[in-house]
Amino acid sequence: MKKIGTMTRRGFIKVAGVTCGYAVFGFNVTRKACAAAMEFVGIRQQSVYAADRKVYAIRKSQDNPMIKKLYAKDGFLHEGPCGHESHHLLHTHYHDRSADLKALRDKGVQLTL
Amino acid sequence: MSGCSAKHPAAAPAYLSGLEPPATGQRVEMEGVEYKIAAPRGIDPASIFFVQVDKDKCQGCGECESHCPTGAIQEMYPDGQRGVVDPAACVNCGQCLANCPYGAIHEEVSYVGEIFEKLRDPDTIVVSMPAPAVRYGLGECFGMPTGTYVGGKMHAALRRLGFGLVWDNEWTADVTIMEEGTELLERVKHGEKPLPQFTSCCPGWVKFAETFYPDLNAHLSTCKSPIGMLGPLAKTYGAEQSGISGKKLYTVSIMPCVAKKFEGLRPEMDASGYRDIDATINTRELAWMIKQAGIDFASLPEEDPDPALGMSTGAATIFGTSGGVMEAALRLAYEVLSGNTLADPDIKVVRTHEGIRTADIPVPNFGTVKVAVVSGLKNAAKLCDEVRAGKSPYHFIEVMTCPGGCVNGGGQPLEPDMRQSSIFRSTIAKINRRFTQRRVG
Ligand code: SF4
Ligand code: SF4
Repeated sequence: MKKIGTMTRRGFIKVAGVTCGYAVFGFNVTRKACAAAMEFVGIRQQSVYAADRKVYAIRKSQDNPMIKKLYAKDGFLHEGPCGHESHHLLHTHYHDRSADLKALRDKGVQLTL
Repeated sequence: MSGCSAKHPAAAPAYLSGLEPPATGQRVEMEGVEYKIAAPRGIDPASIFFVQVDKDKCQGCGECESHCPTGAIQEMYPDGQRGVVDPAACVNCGQCLANCPYGAIHEEVSYVGEIFEKLRDPDTIVVSMPAPAVRYGLGECFGMPTGTYVGGKMHAALRRLGFGLVWDNEWTADVTIMEEGTELLERVKHGEKPLPQFTSCCPGWVKFAETFYPDLNAHLSTCKSPIGMLGPLAKTYGAEQSGISGKKLYTVSIMPCVAKKFEGLRPEMDASGYRDIDATINTRELAWMIKQAGIDFASLPEEDPDPALGMSTGAATIFGTSGGVMEAALRLAYEVLSGNTLADPDIKVVRTHEGIRTADIPVPNFGTVKVAVVSGLKNAAKLCDEVRAGKSPYHFIEVMTCPGGCVNGGGQPLEPDMRQSSIFRSTIAKINRRFTQRRVG
């Protein structure tokens, strides 16, 4: 135990974590923990599909009366989807951010991708 | 049906008179996550850290690294503590934060202080714009079982908080399908813009594409995300429908997400003539606001949003899960391409849990629509490499940064195990560290 006092915190975590991890749970645990987390997400996903079926009376965007109103002949977006006003308000363009990335790499920063 | 309930706004709700909004710079814990109160405006979001590690709380376990799609979060200090190395490398997904077993990662931007001020201001009408996935997580903050649908209660809570117009981002999810579906059909028919078309509703993915695959920008749908559409529509069409000048409207984007804070600040998001999105918060911050207001969430009635910019469909609500945008778009594309009605709107082959899912959808009078659905950016990178090599067979690819989609977003309530920082989870983290260690020494 004395040794721990002189160890760096990082070293301590490594040793303690690994020994305790193997001793208590064995190898498979990491995989199981990941599976548990995805199960939790799966419950939320299932709830989404259940609401789609049971809570929402209309299930297709094109059938929504407030969408029909928006795109109607006398509506706000009367040219229809991808018309002029749509392009002005609802569409966009993208940037090239690779120079920022290059600057970072030139500084010697390593990324996993 | 004009959603004009706020034409004669009622006096501000009583709770606001006794409330001291948190001040800029203050740190506030909300639903187990620490936030810095800060309401940036007119700043290039590419220069901001949206999440950062508290060096003193970090135990150096490395769990965050195994969830980071880019490697932005890495060892930065001699004792192994992590940090986000530079905003340029971070796509702001918040997955590191959501998976830190020690609660050592905090958010650097929270507009809750400013929102309370605006709710109190008699000259401002505050507009709510909640994303689909919020209503599948919010209830968990009030003791309800995982995934409980609380859409109706959420609308009721927003009204009681003092939002003058309860508009809903699900309505613009339907608008997105009309715009993005039409764009896809144009690409397929006219071939002016390249295929495959990638979805563009996830700001983590968009920043990732702009940074690591800018040569594929022409493949990204030019459509803004649903919130990118609701902001400008609220201040133009919404102003017209409600009879309130766009100048008086303060739009609040409520998201399951951290990266949406970046998106709201993009300089180009001012198509309405104002800032389209004034503030962005996430599910945890909304829960905190509801608690601050003393609202008994569980006993609230179910209420509808204001319909003009609020009414939505099942196709909109499924945006919250990986595969949902694809399924919603196919419900439109099938009918347009075939000229037939789609009798059963369930298109189960595109529903997926994690990783990459591909499908061939037979469409009468057209042929086969080839699609791919992916969540997790490391998986997305594989599909990007295919496109780059000219070998991608797909028409349409949906990408979400968070595994499983927005229901698992970085702004959602933490998994209860994570909230307790249980010994079990932290031990797992320590084991993971051994496998994910990048440097020795
Ligand atoms: S927010 Fe996402 S991209 Fe940024 S450091 Fe965390 S996991 Fe990595
Ligand atoms: S998947 Fe959803 S929650 Fe995650 S970064 Fe993208 S938009 Fe945000």
